[in-house]
Amino acid sequence: MATQTATPTKPKQDSAVEQKIQELRELFADAPEMAKTGLEHALPSLMSQAAEAQASETGSAGRIGIRQGTVSELTVIAPFAPGGAKRLRAVLKLLNGNFSGGRKVGTLHNMRFVFLDNDTRFLFATAYDGQWDPYIDDFATKIPDEMDVIFSAFEGWPGIHSPKVKDWIVEHQIPAEGWYVAHPDLSVAEAGRLKHMGKAVDEFLDKLNE
Amino acid sequence: MPTQPATANRPKQSLTVDEKVQKMRELYADAPEIGKAALENGLPTLTEALAAPSAKQTAGRIGLRQGKVSELCVFLPFVKGGAKRLRGFLELLDGNFRAADAVGTVHDMRFVFVDNDTKLLFATAYDGDFDPYIDDFATKIPNAMDLWLCNCEGYPGMRSGKAKQWIFDHQIAAEAWYVNSPNLTAAETRRLEKVGKAVEELLDKIG
Repeated sequence: MATQTATPTKPKQDSAVEQKIQELRELFADAPEMAKTGLEHALPSLMSQAAEAQASETGSAGRIGIRQGTVSELTVIAPFAPGGAKRLRAVLKLLNGNFSGGRKVGTLHNMRFVFLDNDTRFLFATAYDGQWDPYIDDFATKIPDEMDVIFSAFEGWPGIHSPKVKDWIVEHQIPAEGWYVAHPDLSVAEAGRLKHMGKAVDEFLDKLNE
Repeated sequence: MPTQPATANRPKQSLTVDEKVQKMRELYADAPEIGKAALENGLPTLTEALAAPSAKQTAGRIGLRQGKVSELCVFLPFVKGGAKRLRGFLELLDGNFRAADAVGTVHDMRFVFVDNDTKLLFATAYDGDFDPYIDDFATKIPNAMDLWLCNCEGYPGMRSGKAKQWIFDHQIAAEAWYVNSPNLTAAETRRLEKVGKAVEELLDKIG
């Protein structure tokens, strides 16, 4: 088998991948039939994924949460304060999708507000750039009032200026077990730069064709 | 009243900005002090947002959309052993979701284990409407879908023809959804990244 040693350039990775595949098979040993079939079908592409996983860019977002490239995730589930659900729903209806505050933060990719369990709990989930601590600091310095208008709907919200606010968020945050970002290197700022550049190139090409 | 039916389905839009501000004050009359103070301090910016035309759109059958980007959020109860299996699977993948790249319309997605590992929260940002998005999953990555969702109760299988209804049944539409670049699809992002690279190479050559 002398010829074969030349092709696997990273033998350590290969055995690591094989071990992972073995672990997967074990995990799925008591899975429904559908899943076992799915696993066997998906194995070839899973193996190449697992090989790349050695060079994975998934990391920590700092204090809590995970990050892929420059983009991190924050997921909070917390109970509503009495009357909070009604108040927040009305505020969100009045705002009608216009979160000018979100743009001011400058590192926010997207965010959602979801009401759960008959309006007793809410889910707040965002995708943002960088590390957890500076992100929360940005909210506190750039849109403190918007934060308090919205988050005062939740039980025990200490106020964005309170020294306890980060503890409150950490206490209610659930770090994701899996996080995928299609363009992990695309920060909000870089997206803005690329849109700008794309427009300039289009204009330039238009002029050339005039 | 023959003229009313036309406007009746969107009564909220008939509120003036002043009326909206008034409504905010009424809503916050019994809010915690922090909220009341924030409302007064934040009124100038808030008024801008209240005055803007509606930015809220739907993703078709269920969910919200802003511009071209939509949200999907489902809570799926785990089958016995499902949480352990999925956690092990996600750990092994270690952040490499090649299958999602293959779909081509996914911006981001998260898997969060909630309520002591009894439920999976799956939330994603994607391009376009609910129906074609789910169809894409079914046609492009059925195996990956089955591997993941078989860990959740009642999952009928991606090839059963019933998966879409099952997802719909577990989806909770967001009350609000914000996207920083609402017109930037995943495909347009790929194009712009190429343009950006080409421009830099060109400038390098000129330089």
